[in-house]
Amino acid sequence: MDKAGKQVEVAMKWELIKTYTVTRFIVTEYLDGVYVTLWKASTMHMLDKGGTRMTNFNSTNDEKQLEQFMQRIEANDKIEASDWMPDEYRMTLIKLISMHGMSEIMGALPEKEWVPKAPTLQRKLGIMAKVQDEMGHGQLLLRVTEDLLVPYGKNRADLMQDLFNGDLKFHNVFHMETKTWADAGIIGWLVDGAAIITQTDMLKASYGPYARALQRICAEEVFHAQHGESIILALVEGTDLQKAIVQEALDRWWEPLLMFFGPASKETTGSSKQDLTIKYKIRTKTNEEFRQIFFDKYIPRIISLGLKIPDPTLRYDQDSKLWFYEQPDWNAFKKIIKNQGPRSEARLNLRRHSYEYNSWVRDALSTSSS
Amino acid sequence: MGEEKTFYQEYEIFSKRTPSSAFQHQYSLLAPNEEMALIMAQENFMRREPVADIWIVNRKNIKRMNADEKLTLGRLENKDYRTTKGYGYLKKKWRKYEQEILDEKEILSWGGERK
Amino acid sequence: MSSDETVMDTGYTEAVTSLLYQLADDDFMYSFRGSEWLGLAPHIEADIAFSSISQDSMGHAAMFYKLLEDLGAGNADKLAHFRPAIERRNSILTERVNGQGYYMETPHYDWAYAVARSYFYTQAKKVRIDSLCESSFKPLADVAVKVRMELYYHKMHWDTWFKQLMSSTEVAKKKMADAIKLVMNDFGDVFSYGDQKQQIESHGLIGSEEDLKGRWRMNIEPFFVSLHLQVPEIPEGPVKNGRNGEHSGDLDEGLATLSEVCSADTAAVW
Repeated sequence: MDKAGKQVEVAMKWELIKTYTVTRFIVTEYLDGVYVTLWKASTMHMLDKGGTRMTNFNSTNDEKQLEQFMQRIEANDKIEASDWMPDEYRMTLIKLISMHGMSEIMGALPEKEWVPKAPTLQRKLGIMAKVQDEMGHGQLLLRVTEDLLVPYGKNRADLMQDLFNGDLKFHNVFHMETKTWADAGIIGWLVDGAAIITQTDMLKASYGPYARALQRICAEEVFHAQHGESIILALVEGTDLQKAIVQEALDRWWEPLLMFFGPASKETTGSSKQDLTIKYKIRTKTNEEFRQIFFDKYIPRIISLGLKIPDPTLRYDQDSKLWFYEQPDWNAFKKIIKNQGPRSEARLNLRRHSYEYNSWVRDALSTSSS
Repeated sequence: MGEEKTFYQEYEIFSKRTPSSAFQHQYSLLAPNEEMALIMAQENFMRREPVADIWIVNRKNIKRMNADEKLTLGRLENKDYRTTKGYGYLKKKWRKYEQEILDEKEILSWGGERK
Repeated sequence: MSSDETVMDTGYTEAVTSLLYQLADDDFMYSFRGSEWLGLAPHIEADIAFSSISQDSMGHAAMFYKLLEDLGAGNADKLAHFRPAIERRNSILTERVNGQGYYMETPHYDWAYAVARSYFYTQAKKVRIDSLCESSFKPLADVAVKVRMELYYHKMHWDTWFKQLMSSTEVAKKKMADAIKLVMNDFGDVFSYGDQKQQIESHGLIGSEEDLKGRWRMNIEPFFVSLHLQVPEIPEGPVKNGRNGEHSGDLDEGLATLSEVCSADTAAVW
C-alpha cells in the first residue's frame, strides 16, 4: 500500500474510533453500579487530547498489544497504572472508580449530618471515625482514578468540576434525606452492607491499584458494619421511641437499598454495561446476583430483630433459591441518578460551596509543578 | 508548562510499623509540599496501625521503569554458582572428614551467645 | 501529695472539680466545632487529618469527664450533653461557630479561622498540659501525660498550616490577620481560672495564669519575630468569662445541636 493509501486508511480508522467511542460514552446509561453517562461533555474534550496518540497508532502493533493484554487478563495478571491498556479498559475503570470515589466523598455528607448530633461521647467518636474513613476511601479511589487520567492531563480539580457539572455521578443512596439518628444506623448497617457485597467481589479485580485500594477499604468496612449494627441493636432493644425511629428509617431506606445494586438488565433502564466489567475481570457477578446475596445476608437478620420489611410480596423460592420482591420504581431511580433526587441539589451545593469558598487556601499554597 | 502552579503534587508515602521493620510503600496523596504531605500522611493511611517512621517522596523524584526497561529484568536460571545450590555436594564431602557443612542455618545462628 | 491515697478535703476537691470542668468543656467544644467541619475542609487529605485531631480532642474531653465522674460529679455522657450553658466552663474561643450558617445547610466555614483558632488553642493547650503533668492531683497528672503524647502531632499539624498560610499570598495573609483578630478578641479567658483562680492555683494543681501566659508567649514569639510581626496580645479582663459560666449565644446553639438526639429520650440507652 502506498503512503497516500495508508493515510486514508488511518484517517478512516480514526473516524471509526471516534464515532464508536463517542457513541459508546453518550449512549452508556448504566455501568454496573455506575450510573448514567459519566463523561458526556468531557468525553469529546478527552478524545481531542487523546486524538493525536490514537491517530498515530500502528494497527498491527495495537492488535498485538491488545492480544497480549487480554492474555494477561485471562491469566489473572494484575494490570498496573503505567502498563499499556486498551482505551476501553481505561475508560471502564475511570467510570467505575471515579463514580465509586465520588460516591464516598458525597456519601460522607448524609452521615455527617449526624456526627455533631450523635447521642453519647462514644457514638460521637465512632461516627466521626466512620465518616472520616469514608473520606479516606474517597481519597484512595480518587488517587486511583487520577493516575488513570494522566494520559488525558486531568487531575483532582477536573474531577471536582465534573461532579459539579453533573458529568460525574454519585450513588443513588446518597441523594436521599436523613431524618433521625436511626438513619445513621441504617446507613452503617445496610447501605455499607450493600457496598461490602459489591466491593468484596472486586477484591481480585484485574486492575492492581483498584484491588489494593479495595483491600484497605474492605478491611475498614468491617468496622463500619459493626458500627452500624451497634447503633441498630441499641435502638431495637431500646424505648418505644427508639424502636419506632428504626422501623421508620428502614421503611424509607428499603427502596433505595434495592436500587443500590442497579437494575437487573439493560431492559429496565435503557442500557447496561455490566458485561464490560465482567469481560475485563474487574468484577464477577451481575447486579441481580449482588442483590440476591444482599437478601440472603440481611433479610434474616432484619427479621430476627423484629423489624418489618416494607414489601408484602417478598418471599424466598426454595426451588430457584431466589428472593422475589417488588421492583423499586426504576423511573424514580433514573431521576435520582441524574441529580434529581430529594437531596441531590442540596448536597452538591454544599460540596461545591465548601470547595469554592476556601479555594484561596489551595491558591495560597500552590507551587510550580516542575 | 513548568511555570503552571499547582496545589496537587503527588507524594508517595512509605512507613514502617516498628523501629526494626523495613519501610513499606503505603499509598499516595496530593499535597502542595513535603511538610503538608507529612502532616497528612499518618492520618490518611495509618490511622489504625502503629507507625515508627514515615518517608515522603515526591513522585517526580522516582525513576520508574517503562515497558522496555522492564525487559531488562529477565534472567536465565543458570546461576547456581551464585547460590548455595551449586555447592550442595559439600555436605557429603564433609561427612568423610566427620565435620558438618556451614549452611545458612548454622551461620546465621552465630550472632547469639557463644555456645 | 498523692490524693488518691489520702482523703481529700472539700476545698481541694472543689478546686480539682472546677479545673476539670474547664479542661473537659474546652476540649469537648473544640472537638464539637471540629466535627462540624468534617467533610468540608478545602482538601480531602486535609479533611481526614483534621478529623483525627477532632477525635483525639473528644477522647481527651472524655478522659477529663471520666475523672469528674470518678469524683462523683455524675455520668460522663450526661456531663457532656445535658449541662446548660450557665454551668459550662469552657472558654468563649472554643464555643464560637466555625463561620456563618448552620452546618446542616450550606455554611460559610472559614479555613483561616479554623487554622488560627486551632493554632492558638493548641499552643495554649500545650502549656496547660505540660503544667498538668506536674499536677498535685495524681489522676489528672496521669491523664495529662497521655494527652501530651497526642499533642505533638496536633501542634505540628497546626503549626504547619499556620506558618504556611501566614507566609503565602496576600489574600491568605489578609484572611489570616482577620482570623487572628477574631481569635484574640476571645482569648481573654483561655488562661483564666475564673472565680476559682485562688483555689486552683493554691493547691498546686496547675501553674498560675500568669505563668502559663508567659510560657505561651515565649513559645510562639520566635515565629512572629521571624515574620516581623507582633505577638498578639491577650486581652486583659475578658468581656465574658466562660470559666464563670458567661457565654455567647453560640454555645446555646451548639448545645442544642450536640444534645438533640439524646434529649429526644433522656431515659434511653443510645
